[in-house]
Amino acid sequence: MIDEVEVIGVGMHPFGRFSDSSLKDLARVATVQALTDAGIGTRDIDVVYSSNAMGGMLQGQEMVRGQAVMREVGIERIPIVNVENACAGGSTALRQAILEIAAGAAEIVLAVGFEKMFVNDRTRTLDALQSAADVDVVRGAGLQFTAVYGMRLRKMLAEGTIRGEDLVEVSVKSHACGALNPYAQHQKEVTPEEVRAAPMIADPLTLLMTSSICDGAAAVVVARRGALKVDRPRVRFRSSRGASGFTPLPEGQPTLSEQNVTAAYEAAGLGPGDVDVAEVHDAMAPAELLAYEQLGFCEKGGAGALLAAGTTSITGAKPVNPSGGLSSRGHPVGATGLAQIAELTWQLRGEAGARQVGNEPRIALAHNSGGWLEGESAANNIHILERIDSWT
Amino acid sequence: MDLTPALDAELTGSRPRVDREAQALVGSRCSVCNTPSWPARAVCNRCGSAALRTEVFAGSGVLITHTTAHVPLAGLAAPYMLGQVQLDANGPLVFGLIEGLPPDADVPRSVRTVVSAEGAVPPYRFHDR
Repeated sequence: MIDEVEVIGVGMHPFGRFSDSSLKDLARVATVQALTDAGIGTRDIDVVYSSNAMGGMLQGQEMVRGQAVMREVGIERIPIVNVENACAGGSTALRQAILEIAAGAAEIVLAVGFEKMFVNDRTRTLDALQSAADVDVVRGAGLQFTAVYGMRLRKMLAEGTIRGEDLVEVSVKSHACGALNPYAQHQKEVTPEEVRAAPMIADPLTLLMTSSICDGAAAVVVARRGALKVDRPRVRFRSSRGASGFTPLPEGQPTLSEQNVTAAYEAAGLGPGDVDVAEVHDAMAPAELLAYEQLGFCEKGGAGALLAAGTTSITGAKPVNPSGGLSSRGHPVGATGLAQIAELTWQLRGEAGARQVGNEPRIALAHNSGGWLEGESAANNIHILERIDSWT
Repeated sequence: MDLTPALDAELTGSRPRVDREAQALVGSRCSVCNTPSWPARAVCNRCGSAALRTEVFAGSGVLITHTTAHVPLAGLAAPYMLGQVQLDANGPLVFGLIEGLPPDADVPRSVRTVVSAEGAVPPYRFHDR
C-alpha cells in the first residue's frame, strides 16, 4: 500500500548555471545529499529510477543515462531504470519507486533526476524543449512552452477570470520565495515595475514571469515503513497518481490536472481543504494561478483573490510554492518533480530554514506536469505526502 | 470492437495532411462517434473504434486565443503570432501560425486556412478571413 512508503532522505544540487559541472557532478551531489540525509550508503539501495529529459540531444547520452551517471557514485549491479516524461520525469520516477516498494519488490529505492540545459548554443536547448510534444504534429509550428501558456492565459484574461496585475503579483511572490531559498536559481526579489517592464517573451508573459534554462539535480530516497530506524519527523505518501494528456473534446472536459488531482484526493480520502502546503507546476509563475483553480484551492475565477489575500504566501494558511517554484527555484526539466518532493519533505519536517511555512503543515501536495499535447500537458503526476508525527 | 482495420491503415507518412486545392487540412473522422482528428489517426481517441475515414476539414475556423512570441526559433524569426483555431463544421481544434493580424486582435474571430508550399514546414497557417 502507498501509505507504507516513506520518504527517508532528500537532497538537491543547487539549481542554476553550472557550466563546469557534468550530469555526473550534478547527480552526485543530489544523490550523496539524499543518502546522507537518510543515513544510508550506496549499498543499501535496491533499485534506482533515474529521470532525465534532454541528455540525449544535449549531451549525446541517448541511452543508459542512469547507469552512466550512477557510475560516478559507485551504484551498479542493481536495476537502474531510465525514465523520461519531459518536465514530469522526476515525479514519474518517484511514482515508479513508490510502486516498486508497494509491490513488495524492494525495500529502499532511489529516485534521482538531473538535467543540464546550459550548453554552448541556446537554440539547441530550445530545439530539445520543443520535442516535449508530438513532433510529427508541431514541427515548424513555433509552439514554445511560453507561447502555449501565453495562449492559455490570454484566454483567461479575455474571460475576465484573472487580471493582468494578478500575473505580475504572483511573479513577485515567486521571486520573493526564491530569495529565501539557497537552492534557487533566482535568489533576488523583484518589484512589480520590474516584472511589467521586463522583455516580452510571449504575450502576456514577460521574462520575469517565466522559468529559465537551468542546470540541477534532485534525489529522493523512499523506503518501506520500518525498513530503517528514523529519529526525525516521518513523512509518508498518501497518494501517488499518474496520468497522460488527451485531445480536448468539443464539448469540453475537466483539465488533466483536475482529473488527476480528483483521483489523488479520492485515493487519499482527502480534499483540497486538507492541503497545508503545496508545490505546483509553475513553469511560468502565472501558472500558479491556474493551479489554484485546478487543484481546488479556489473556485473558478477566485485565483487572484486567493493570492491577494496572502493565503498562499509562506506565512499564509495554505502556502504554495514556498521554494519559489519552477519560476524562481529553477526548472532543470528532469529534476523538478523530485525537487518539489525535497522541498515538501523539508517543509513537513520543519527544516526549510528562512522559507519554513508557518502553519505546522501535516498534508503536502506536489503537482508536476510535463510536455504537452494539443493544449494539455502530456504527463501529470500528483503526490500527496503526510507528516506522521505530531508537531508538538 | 474490431481493431483490425488499424493493421492496414495507410502509413502515417503517406496520409494526406492538407488539400491544396481546397486550402484546407485533411485528417480523420470517426465513423462511430464522429470525433475529428488532425493529423489522421488509426484508432479513435474518444471511442476506440478503428472505423475512421479521411476527411477534408472546413477551410475556415474560429480563432479562440493567440499570443505573440518574441523568442526566435530555428527557421522562425520573432516576433511571430500563434493561435488556437476551432475549425468550422465540427472540425478539430488545432494550433497554428497566424499571419496578417495585429498582436491585439480581438477574439473570437473568423480565420481561414492557408496551405503552405509543397514540402514546407509548417504545412499550413491561418489568415484573417
